[in-house]
Amino acid sequence: MSDKVEAVKKLFTSQSSRVETNKGDTYYQELFDKCEARLNEMRSHQPANKLDFTDLLEDNGIDRREFMKWASATTAMLMLPPMFTPLVADAAVLMNRAPVIWLELQDCAGNSEALLRADGPKIDEIVLDIISLEFHETLQAASGHQAEKQLEEAMEHFKGKYLLFVEGAIPMAMDGQYGTIGAKGETFHDHLVRCAENAAAVVAVGSCATFGGIPAAAPNPTGAVGVMDVVKNKPLINIPACPANPANMVGVILHYVLTGQVPELDSLLRPKFAFGYRIHDNCERRAHFDAGEYVEEWGDVGAQNNFCLYKMGCKGPMTFNNCSIVRYNEGVNWPIGVGRGCIGCSEPDFWDKYAYERPMADAKIKAPTGGVEKTVDEFGLGMLTAAGIGIAIHAAASTVAGKRENSGESHE
Amino acid sequence: MKQGYTQVKRMTPAMRIIHWVNAICMIGAVVTGLYIGHPYYQTFMADGAVDKYVMAWNRYGHFIIAIIFDVTSVIIAYLYFFSRFEKPYKKLVPNTQNITEFKAVLVNLLTLNRKKEFDSSHADSFNTVYFTVFHLLLIWMLLTGLQMYVHGLGSGLSSIGAWWPWMLHLTTDWTIWICGGTLMDVRISHHFTMWLILCWVVFHIYYQVWRTIFWKEADIAIVIGGSKFVKDDSLKSE
Ligand code: HEM
Ligand code: SF4
Ligand code: SF4
Repeated sequence: MSDKVEAVKKLFTSQSSRVETNKGDTYYQELFDKCEARLNEMRSHQPANKLDFTDLLEDNGIDRREFMKWASATTAMLMLPPMFTPLVADAAVLMNRAPVIWLELQDCAGNSEALLRADGPKIDEIVLDIISLEFHETLQAASGHQAEKQLEEAMEHFKGKYLLFVEGAIPMAMDGQYGTIGAKGETFHDHLVRCAENAAAVVAVGSCATFGGIPAAAPNPTGAVGVMDVVKNKPLINIPACPANPANMVGVILHYVLTGQVPELDSLLRPKFAFGYRIHDNCERRAHFDAGEYVEEWGDVGAQNNFCLYKMGCKGPMTFNNCSIVRYNEGVNWPIGVGRGCIGCSEPDFWDKYAYERPMADAKIKAPTGGVEKTVDEFGLGMLTAAGIGIAIHAAASTVAGKRENSGESHE
Repeated sequence: MKQGYTQVKRMTPAMRIIHWVNAICMIGAVVTGLYIGHPYYQTFMADGAVDKYVMAWNRYGHFIIAIIFDVTSVIIAYLYFFSRFEKPYKKLVPNTQNITEFKAVLVNLLTLNRKKEFDSSHADSFNTVYFTVFHLLLIWMLLTGLQMYVHGLGSGLSSIGAWWPWMLHLTTDWTIWICGGTLMDVRISHHFTMWLILCWVVFHIYYQVWRTIFWKEADIAIVIGGSKFVKDDSLKSE
């Protein structure tokens, strides 16, 4: 009986999407010991590059105090208790021992751009600078056969240890001929499959690599798909958004360096620490939403007063991402902060289904059959009119028939 | 009572109450739902801050209506099988009798009442099927609506406990997949189904009025007084 009660209790208290922010002291103590051991082991490894993190911080005029502030904020973002702060700081220093291979497929290089953030890099970007980028098609000096050789060597040397970052979608139409790479003309698809084979884990960054993104938008001429449609049987982490937030890339790598594990993921394989929140629920304009105060037109009084952007097409209510919390560029600002709505960039099919810059109710939507583009209301009103016409015809005919019946022309 | 007519009971008081609760709630759901989709009137800038929860009140109203629909849907589902009055599911079973009756009622409608070869004193299977379509549409609204609702409970917590969002995910996450894979598809479907329901309502009202006028059996009174009148001979001739 009592275990039945327990079972029912468990059923009704279990958490699905819940982001577990406190897993209990024993859990964290165990994790702490594990992480410490792992970091000690990493320290004994040869760094894969010569960059020294502390020097780099100094070069960029960032002092220790500022770095520790960053470490404690990052610890909080990863949902670890404060006692992990020194470990996170150590892990950041040891990032040059985490080999990363970066593939660029069908994309705009926006995530690489976010990764580099050339002007006045902040700590997140510096951390990304020192990860050991073994191979990055866009950034490296080598090209052609030389580049290919470099990739082979990196894959061989770090077999089973490297993180494979993928930016960009994979064109599947025409046997993948829409995108080929290298001197041998390997298709993006084959290239990805080959590189993923010996990776410790695959990280898809940006909306194109995760869900196909803009290349996959209708009519998707190249048959673009995301990494998760191609790479199976490998730990896979999706970091969508356009571009992916460097803070979240750092978070994932740090988590991996620290624990050797993939962070907790949601049903779309996005780390919960970053995608467990809805934009709308952490938006500074939310009070205006509830009050019914909306920007009606760019630059109007509402816009000047930071009213809610819902009627300008903000998709915060349907979008899960942490940019309303961590923002971009080390917390300087974020899209809604600068006065334009969220376009749902971290959700699947965002270009077709979120980014039309008007409320869904006003947007022209493709019928599943393709072709027709109408708003839901236009379509619905059309249906209602058709029903009305049908009824009117039936009513008129019934009246005529009824009259005839009364005057005894038909019936009996 | 009119000479030559017999009064037949068709709806219990409980059924009639549910009918009108549903009708009023439907109007409320459409009015507040359309506001949520595209706020069509504006807050007065001069209003005091306390009066200003225009969207919040609309959403509140929409969700209260949703709760009422939840409750009536459960009751109706129960009555479909266990009503002591008439069990509607019996009219839904696709047996020869029901199919014949369904066809006869449809023929009656299409021949503009020139052919009427069924017993109109009791609930017929055509109307029962039609009403069931409504309940299915309403359940679809509930499922898609609750799916949208649970987005706001991203923390996995709620004022009534963690079981609530957990249960909502368990019971409605599949609608995302059915609708086309994204949260927005669920929203499109929710909005679109509203139009299906409105079409349903228009024909429903027309058809009941039509029956009243052409059958001359006061069908419209069923939903008010609970009964209609049937000619004595028509009862015998069946
Ligand atoms: C049955 C009659 C109903 C009608 C006619 C109706 C209509 C609508 C409409 C037109 C919208 C706006 C969609 C858009 O364009 O964005 C909406 C939104 C919504 N409805 Fe319903 N609805 C009904 C029932 C329900 C039920 C039963 C629920 C269950 C909780 C529900 C929950 C919601 C939610 C959560 C939203 C989105 C609100 C938001 O994002 O703030 N609705 N509804
Ligand atoms: S601006 Fe967007 S995210 Fe912010 S409250 Fe308005 S609708 Fe929600
Ligand atoms: S506000 Fe929305 S569209 Fe903009 S970056 Fe954040 S999730 Fe993407």
